[in-house]
Amino acid sequence: MFRKACRQELTILRRAFNKWGVFDFFVEKTILIKEEYHKDTEVYLLSSGLELIILSRQPNYAGLKVGELKKNFLPSMEGADLIARVSKNFPHIIVNEIAERLILYGRSVLGQSIVGGTENLNENEIILLLNRNREPIGVGRTKFSGKYLFQIDIVTVTTLIDAGHYLRNEGQ
Amino acid sequence: MKTLVFPSTPESVGLARLYRYDEWIVNRFMQYVPDVYTFLESLERDPPRYIRTNTLKIDSKKLKSKLLSKGFKLKETALEDVIAVEKALYSIGATTEYLLGYYYIQDLSSCFAVEALDIGKDQTVLDMASAPGGKTTFIAQKMENTGCLIAIEPNPKRVRSILYNIARCGVINTCVFTMDGRQVSNLNLKFDRVLLDAPCSGEGVIAKDNDRRTNHKPEDVEYCALIQRELIEAAIKVVKPGGLLVYSTCSFAPEENENIVNYLLDKFDIQIEPFQYGNDGLVNFGDFHFRQDLKNTKRFYPHLHKTLGFYIAKIRVNN
Ligand SMILES: C[S@@+](CC[C@H](N)C(=O)[O-])C[C@H]1O[C@@H](n2cnc3c(N)ncnc32)[C@H](O)[C@@H]1O
Repeated sequence: MFRKACRQELTILRRAFNKWGVFDFFVEKTILIKEEYHKDTEVYLLSSGLELIILSRQPNYAGLKVGELKKNFLPSMEGADLIARVSKNFPHIIVNEIAERLILYGRSVLGQSIVGGTENLNENEIILLLNRNREPIGVGRTKFSGKYLFQIDIVTVTTLIDAGHYLRNEGQ
Repeated sequence: MKTLVFPSTPESVGLARLYRYDEWIVNRFMQYVPDVYTFLESLERDPPRYIRTNTLKIDSKKLKSKLLSKGFKLKETALEDVIAVEKALYSIGATTEYLLGYYYIQDLSSCFAVEALDIGKDQTVLDMASAPGGKTTFIAQKMENTGCLIAIEPNPKRVRSILYNIARCGVINTCVFTMDGRQVSNLNLKFDRVLLDAPCSGEGVIAKDNDRRTNHKPEDVEYCALIQRELIEAAIKVVKPGGLLVYSTCSFAPEENENIVNYLLDKFDIQIEPFQYGNDGLVNFGDFHFRQDLKNTKRFYPHLHKTLGFYIAKIRVNN
């Protein structure tokens, strides 16, 4: 069921959009919430021309899922794509080519494959995983903070979702 | 209506044996395909591969330069956003650029169908048989992600593929209904543009699948033509006055193409508009004599247009 976001959800979303540097982008945009029994609450971005039809006819699927709302907002791969395009300042790491291929197979990130990114990341922080062209290939969670992210032969960032996941799950 | 089958001749028997088709299929091709020998020969080769730039995410120039640096050999086509891939070092469906939604793998003929729709921003558009979403995502990009695009598909498994492609391509102006296109009037909506890329017997891609050369039956064509008639009638009823319906199939069979559009012309106040690509539609086929306007519909042949077999009719609903 698609519906408008309630005040509490809007507060979480505004805070999250601010953190990801996409607050201004979303100001004029149409956002709807999709709620289904036993599923996480999902956040959808859509063209303004679509809103009325969605609310009145409740299609099975609509717009672009930009993330999920739990206690916080977790960007989806499509949300990550948007953030990387629009935002000038968002938490991220940049990985080398080998790690890029591995991430696209769903694997997590070893310290030695990180070649750059936001300084002073915290432990347990949600970040975007970018390749050397600064293209978003995944969303991850840091397992360490700051310089400890670069530890050799240790998974320092867990991949939560990656751009290859649909292809791997196709037909399932 | 019965699928036309013609009396065999030594030539049709010989060609059918040479190219491993059932005779009735080749015999029908001989009735209407120009230069049928070159045609049958061209079906033996792998069809050209095309990708369509997803301009919602990248422009064609940037995409080309990325792919060229990865060792791809590319060639331009008649359509600005569509690129022929002459050589690729890896599978074109597994590059990072593909996963990031920079392009869609799609035959040039399919792109012509969307081109025929004359899509503009902020329109209300219906894609009536939409999985896996190749044309849906192209329409969305032509709408620049504005307005409202409704995609319909009755097969839930195939709906998954639309959702994947919509997500990958960053489409925000589309909603998907899992429903039968014949019930589209239940949505109570009228559209500026409707695409009916109809389920068909798939003759246009028959050579890809060796088994189909001998298990394709006249009844397949009859069965599809029946559904196509019902779908096109449902489609025309939801087009706004002055709006456009594009009917397309990947079949060569006149029963699924000209005959369907001819039926519509007899029943509704519509016009067939010219379209600049492809060969003219048929006005005669065996005992069939179609209206002269059917020439404005277009046929695409592998040996002439370097595409899969395809048919497009651009139909304007009169005010
Ligand atoms: C030729 S394919 C469409 C390809 C698609 N337009 C694209 O470009 O990716 C035809 C589709 O029609 C669907 N279909 C079959 N019966 C249908 C019906 N009654 N109403 C709507 N769609 C139908 C099939 O499941 C199939 O996905």
